[in-house]
Amino acid sequence: MAAGDRWKYLYKALSKSGPFSDPDWVPGEETIKSLEESKILVIGAGGLGCEILKNLALSGFKDIHVIDMDTIDISNLNRQFLFRHSDIGKPKAEVAAAFVEKRVKGVKITPFVGKIQDKDEDYYLQFKIVVCGLDSIEARRWINSTLVGMVDMDNPESLKPLIDGGTEGFKGQARVILPSLTSCIECQLDMHAPRPAVPLCTIATIPRQPQHCIEWAHQIAWQDKRKDDSFDSDDMEHIGWVYNTALERANEFNISGVTFQMTQGVVKNIIPAIASTNAVIAAATTSEALKIATSCNPFLENYMMYAGEEGVYTYTFEAEKKTDCPVCGSLARKITVNPDVTLEEFIEILGEQPEAQLKKPSLRTEETTLYQRFPPQLEEQTKSNLKLKLRDLVADGQEVAVSDPAYTIDFRFQLIFT
Amino acid sequence: MTSEFPHALTGPSSKERRYDRQLRLWAASGQQALEESRVLLVNSDGPWGNQSTGVSGVVGVETLKNLVLPGIGGFTIVDPAVVTEPDLGANFFLEDESLGKSRAEETCRLLKELNPDVEGNSCTKPIAEILQEEPEFLSQHKLILISGPIKRSSLQSLCSAAKTLGIPVLYTRSVGFFSTFSLQLPAVFPIVETHPDPESTQDLRLLGPWPELAVAAASISNLDSLDDHQHGHVPYVLLLLYYLEKWKETHNGNVPSNYKEKSEFREFVRSSARTDNPQGGEENYDEAIAAVLKSLNPFSLRSSTRDIFEMEECSQLTPNSANFWIIVSAVREFHQQHQVLPLPGLLPDMKAQSADYVSLQNIYKTKARKDIAEVTETVRRIESQLGQSASVSDKDIEVFCKNASHIQVIRGRDIPQPDGDAQSLKRLRIELGNDESLISIFLAFQILDIVVTGIQEGKYPEGALDDESLWSSELDRILGVIASDASAPVDDEARNRILEAARELRRTEGGDLHNISSLTGGLVAQEALKVLTRQYVPLDNTCIFNGIRSNSAMYKL
Amino acid sequence: MLKIWSMKQQQQQAENAEGAAGKKKKKVTAAQLRVQRDLQELTLGNTMKMEFPNPDDILNFTLTIDPDEGMYKGGSFNFTFAVNQNFPHDPPKVKCTQKIYHPNIDLEGNVCLNILREDWKPVLNLNAVIVGMQFLFLEPNASDPLNKDAAEDLRQNRDLFKRNVRTSMGGGNVRSIHFDKVLR
Repeated sequence: MAAGDRWKYLYKALSKSGPFSDPDWVPGEETIKSLEESKILVIGAGGLGCEILKNLALSGFKDIHVIDMDTIDISNLNRQFLFRHSDIGKPKAEVAAAFVEKRVKGVKITPFVGKIQDKDEDYYLQFKIVVCGLDSIEARRWINSTLVGMVDMDNPESLKPLIDGGTEGFKGQARVILPSLTSCIECQLDMHAPRPAVPLCTIATIPRQPQHCIEWAHQIAWQDKRKDDSFDSDDMEHIGWVYNTALERANEFNISGVTFQMTQGVVKNIIPAIASTNAVIAAATTSEALKIATSCNPFLENYMMYAGEEGVYTYTFEAEKKTDCPVCGSLARKITVNPDVTLEEFIEILGEQPEAQLKKPSLRTEETTLYQRFPPQLEEQTKSNLKLKLRDLVADGQEVAVSDPAYTIDFRFQLIFT
Repeated sequence: MTSEFPHALTGPSSKERRYDRQLRLWAASGQQALEESRVLLVNSDGPWGNQSTGVSGVVGVETLKNLVLPGIGGFTIVDPAVVTEPDLGANFFLEDESLGKSRAEETCRLLKELNPDVEGNSCTKPIAEILQEEPEFLSQHKLILISGPIKRSSLQSLCSAAKTLGIPVLYTRSVGFFSTFSLQLPAVFPIVETHPDPESTQDLRLLGPWPELAVAAASISNLDSLDDHQHGHVPYVLLLLYYLEKWKETHNGNVPSNYKEKSEFREFVRSSARTDNPQGGEENYDEAIAAVLKSLNPFSLRSSTRDIFEMEECSQLTPNSANFWIIVSAVREFHQQHQVLPLPGLLPDMKAQSADYVSLQNIYKTKARKDIAEVTETVRRIESQLGQSASVSDKDIEVFCKNASHIQVIRGRDIPQPDGDAQSLKRLRIELGNDESLISIFLAFQILDIVVTGIQEGKYPEGALDDESLWSSELDRILGVIASDASAPVDDEARNRILEAARELRRTEGGDLHNISSLTGGLVAQEALKVLTRQYVPLDNTCIFNGIRSNSAMYKL
Repeated sequence: MLKIWSMKQQQQQAENAEGAAGKKKKKVTAAQLRVQRDLQELTLGNTMKMEFPNPDDILNFTLTIDPDEGMYKGGSFNFTFAVNQNFPHDPPKVKCTQKIYHPNIDLEGNVCLNILREDWKPVLNLNAVIVGMQFLFLEPNASDPLNKDAAEDLRQNRDLFKRNVRTSMGGGNVRSIHFDKVLR
């Protein structure tokens, strides 16, 4: 059989319309070419990331980038199938990229070992799609607001679909976000239950559960006895100390059930994770990537929940966009100003804007507090800026965020200098 | 262990560290069950024809990946196929050098790399041949995975042999953006550790306290004289018991039994909280108020447990009865005698002083131990009546008693066939009337099975995989069977939905997409884990996944 | 639904490069924006002051509470606030920088206030936290203590507790523990 047959079945799906494909879709060469040219970014090379990289490579993507700051730990090996025992300690992004590149010929995978926050918009602009396999809400919120902030209404290429997956034990979810068009991660923040916390005073004075004793050892005893060592949850000696200290406290209060495993779980906030759930969610995100990149079938609108504890349960629905979402509720508007006007004059200009007659705004850029009306100490510290010219405070093209107590939402303006 | 000897700490073993994230789900007992399991994967039944290499087996290999990683004991791959180019574009557990070699051997080799503790074997003979030559072959395995579509005759002989041996079977198919799989469980499949939501298993017995608990409640009769600190730390369980007694005094000895009375009782508790403090209330009272509607219910047996008590296996014990049924029978006796199940013994966390909480917790734990002892005594008596020597372990009895309220028994169903029993046909007819149902995808797969069998048996040419009129006539035959017991034929809309689904299957001529097969391998592995660990609740019995809409559905077929 | 990329849009890439000019600048983060808003909505009264060691960094600041009534009247109490980028999903982290004698604040400066931990919700704002902190000095809570000795004193002997508060605020010792002088 000819070498060209390698992608036989994938290409059939891309070369032939199906009953559910968009009637305007043009299958064939062009679609395949556009898939191969789609540069795609994978955030996270862990349980989901390993699967996502494999799936994208076997779905015809040729130019894949992956970011992860972590190194491989033994507890990853029960699911992160691109890693072996001999890889422990090496960076996940590099090992994962090299493995998939070697196994699937013709795919290029570019790793970056570091934080997503290390990269700027220029970096994210080069991709067509971003797929996330993260375990941190904070990182999700960051990439979400970055991608929403990049949307430029005049340039459709600036809109980067974000496909996000997450798992916990037998459960997981996959969602598709079209920044600024559909419900974003910030709109859906209340779907992430906050980590349940126990009152500090319970931990300090009336422990009842083994977890309370562990929290005490971790948060209070450590501070008291080992102030000078910064706690490292990967250091076995540190965990061992917390475990022993927790055991002693538990004995003192006749509480049973403190174990080493529980100590690690509480201190590191461990979430159970298995290969099979990751496989389901990762593949759910990558088939959305394939559908978005090729239009061969309609993509998910916009949220799928999966639970496997009792049979196979999925629930697919459309999460709603929140009009008052602090991230996608108001996109940055461009405002053209003379850089020689003072900040005070600029505030007057904002007051005359028809869409938002801002009367008492406070303003900032990412780096600088331009003017903050309250509290008085900060007003005192920033009022000298009012007399400064914009060019001395803000760069051309920079974003200024404005809050005004008269409005429940905030505004973002991108300043374009005349 | 004390802090003077931090070095005496023996941390978790390397195996415990490797499996840490999954042990938090199924614990050491589930892990042990996995490690004692060998899984058979029948990954193809030979090529479909000269052009088509047959089923890719990606679902099977991906499923095994998800089982090798968490550490099953071993696996066997049966696959007569030779690795071809299209395999390399869909199967991650093959490499360029695998071309032309045995697919069974190559996938086995690369899967074994994932976990050195897992043993793997491969066999290049067709399964039908193996079954003839080695009668003991199947019984070495705890689970059989079959990648479909395969020849009808192979599927049937495998499934019926497995049924006789009581080995569960998972039959999978994945084509284009669709997939489906069915689970054939043994005739009786009991599960003790179903892992229900912890909220639903809470059993505090507030309406029927046993003597020791009643004594503890009576110990706060001086509630009004307690100082604010003590008053604000009385565990809410004791508060509710105390106020229930007060309530009974003014309600002819009755407890609040309906919503109206419970609401009144809740107000009564609320009005007894002290509010003249900096917080303007008391947390323990807040907890008590919140628990009234949820916890003040008389004990009632879940209907699924009642059904199990009434099963013949429970009432007609024999010397061959499984341990599960001996324990069920003992617990049923317990229930007959006390009108409650053994106490699980878990006390939720609540506002309380440490010592008060621990002593209340001990009252629950002690009672749970006492109940276990009583059940154990009955188990031993039954065993001797059956002429067995204590074969049920104490551990099993304890685990059972803790989970008694949510045990389940699944009656295994066969892998569905196009000409199923009347019940399944009726279910299919009803589903066909629902335009949101995924059953049309399932029926399209049934046509695919028939077409592939036809090709393998030389009845159809290979082009049949994308022959619209052939699929349409096979569909009409299936619909004829489905409508045979009914007054009216299946309507055209339903027929069109199946044809649409069939068109999506024909789009790739029966070939699969890696993504969808990988997803399906995840779902199938999930079911395999539940079957092998006997924890959580497996599928009963067919799941259909639609990768176009990203949704799925379960059907009993 | 808009078609995200019709394949004919390649010509737009040229414009794209131009449009991207000046886009390198970082955006104001969701946490910053929320704190900017929260700060504007504070009600400080004359018993509270805030200080921003770096006015450009509004996520880290100090709060000084000068109670004008109650047992802690005359004192001046300093707290650091550290808001992370996951605010308001995460609560702010608050610590007392002085060693003080208070049933709900331990000797390390940890503060036991429900809305800083178990009862925190993203709809709460910084003002709710500040009001809660102020309340701790008006009505120290003996029933859920972090400093058990102080709570015990408050429960058993309110007068002794008051004296201990005065002693500690003056920089004296209570039960041989030395406290920081916090008198204005």
